[in-house]
Formats: sequence, structure tokens, C-alpha cells
Amino acid sequence: MLTAGPAKKVSIYVGEDHKYHGQSAYSAILDFLFYRGVSGATVMRGFAGFGADHHLHTTRIERLTENLPIKIEFVESAEKVAELLPKLQGMVGTGLIEIQDTTVAKPSEVSGKEAPEASIPALRREGRAKLMRIFIGENDKWHDKPLHKALIESMRANDIAGATVYQGILGYGANRRIHKDTALHLSHDRPMMLSIVDTEEKLRAFFPILDSMIQQGLVVLSDVDVIKYTHDYSGEERRKEVRK
Amino acid sequence: MKLAGKAKMLRIHFGEDDKWRDKPLYRAIVEKCRELDIAGATVFRGIEGYGASTLIHRSHLLSFSSDAPIMISVIDSEENVQKLLPYLDEMVDEGLIAMSEVEVIKYVHQGGARSQ
Repeated sequence: MLTAGPAKKVSIYVGEDHKYHGQSAYSAILDFLFYRGVSGATVMRGFAGFGADHHLHTTRIERLTENLPIKIEFVESAEKVAELLPKLQGMVGTGLIEIQDTTVAKPSEVSGKEAPEASIPALRREGRAKLMRIFIGENDKWHDKPLHKALIESMRANDIAGATVYQGILGYGANRRIHKDTALHLSHDRPMMLSIVDTEEKLRAFFPILDSMIQQGLVVLSDVDVIKYTHDYSGEERRKEVRK
Repeated sequence: MKLAGKAKMLRIHFGEDDKWRDKPLYRAIVEKCRELDIAGATVFRGIEGYGASTLIHRSHLLSFSSDAPIMISVIDSEENVQKLLPYLDEMVDEGLIAMSEVEVIKYVHQGGARSQ
């Protein structure tokens, strides 16, 4: 977060047509700044200019898609700028980067009503856990209900931390029958994979239930490191989250 | 074939447009797995992603050409997975192959009509 006091103002000059990994250089730089948590950045398009190549770029020439000058500006602390600079240097290509000393008289603020929400600390957990993957078919049923749906419901009822269903497009399993989604047939029998992460004890406790529900399929378990897992927020906050 | 205990999981990542001898690469890999009697293989299509080329792969809604990311997951004993690797090496020329350890909890099928 930017605070009042001395800071650095960085101006980056690139051409509108400059590319970085197949993407416009200026939008790649903006994305980079955004995801590195820079407090704000502005992209401006000039209408005429020239750079190191002494080639005049202007809108007035007959060609409409002229390589117009783009300036990206942001203000950050000296440490943050030093951290970002090596990558930015690689991204600007033939462009120019300029850094000036500046003073922040008043840092910008997020609008008032968003602020308290941002202050709720996310629950962070790190540690060992197990990842369980279940491979079944889309047509598999449990008591007339799609098996993947039944499994998710029963995991939810058994307090398993979370599960996600993935739909495959092609595959085969124990019975060697190819499962696929053929556009012309309406009978979908795509392969399904459920991925579940929780502690080993909770997953092992769930095995008997799994056994009774899965008639055919594959269940595997592997070790994972949980880096972040947020929960514990009240129902109201959850609804807010969903609406966003 | 019985699959139990420790096994290997192979994940192969590439693009939907990738071909192997004029056939979609993912189909060619699944067919190769069957030919080699690998216990199972499943192809997943991602929504968006990027890889070694750092070009964003995504499926295009308006055109029929789609270059969505594809992931094939293969689980079998280490011995069988090793049999598959040289073929993958030859078939996948741009992509990622990752192997991890898994523990098989359950591997069942009905009827037992599986060819050996």
C-alpha cells in the first residue's frame, strides 16, 4: 500500500504495436503491474511522437494502424520499483523506462465501503493433506441419481472440505469401453473425475461410504501441500462473495 | 489386471490442435494406451491456459478452430507407465509430461469381461 512521503514515479514508453509473447507489450506490462500488487498504473496513448529509431509515429499519416506512442505511468515505493524493474526491462524491448523521485502528498484510497471487507483476514493454512481423485463415467448412477452428484452431496454431508467434478472428453477405464462425447449421439457417456482435498483421516473415514457407492471406477490418493485454504466466514459474507 | 497399492499417475499437457499423423494427438495417445494395455486414460479439456510457448490457449466460441488446453491423465503401475513413456516422447513434441506418485484405493469394474 502506498503511503504519503517519498516515492518513485516510473514512466515506460513503448510503441502500441510492440509485442511481448504475442500480446501487446503495454497490456502485458499493465497485467504484470496489476498482479504484482502495484497500487495504480495508467496507460496513455500519445497521438504523435518519435523514439530511438527517429521514425515519426503519428495518426495523421494515411496508414491508420501506425505504431503510436504509449506511456505507462505508476507511482510506487523505491523497494517495490527495484523489485519490479528487472522484469520490466525485459518486457519493454526497445522501449524506454524513466524513474523520477517524487513525493506522495496524499495516497489514493479505496472507496469507504469496500475497506472493512478487505480487512477481514483470510484464514491461511499450510500443511500436508491428501488429494483424492475418483474416476467414473457420466452415466454411472447411484439410486437413480447421477453418481458424481450423489458423491458430491454425500461428501458435503460428511464435512469433506471440498470437491470438484471435471468432465473429460475421451477416455477408457477398467472395462476398456471408450467413453466419449460424440456430438451426433445424444447419449453422453463422458469420463468424469472428482478431485477432493482434505486431511488423510477424513478421507479414510469416508472410504466405506465410497465403497458402497462406486460400483466401478478408480480411486487414487496422493500427497499434496495445502498452500492456502480459506473458509470460516459467516453466511452473509459468503453470499457477498458469490454476488461479486 | 489388478491395480492396487502404489502406482504412478502421468499427466500430459498439450493443445487440442496438436496432431499425430493427421489424427488429434489426444485420441492417438488414448489409442496407444489401449494398445499397450494401460489400465486407463482420461482426456480433459481446459477452458484456458498457457504453456511453454506462453501463448494463451483458449477455445474460440465463434470459430470452429479451438486450441483449448488438453490434459490426459493416465494411472497405472510404474512398470506399465514406463512402457508408455518412449511412445509419448515421440508423439508429444510440444507439451509437458509430469509423473507423480499415487496410492490406489479402489479399482473395480463390473462383469470382469476385460480382455487381458
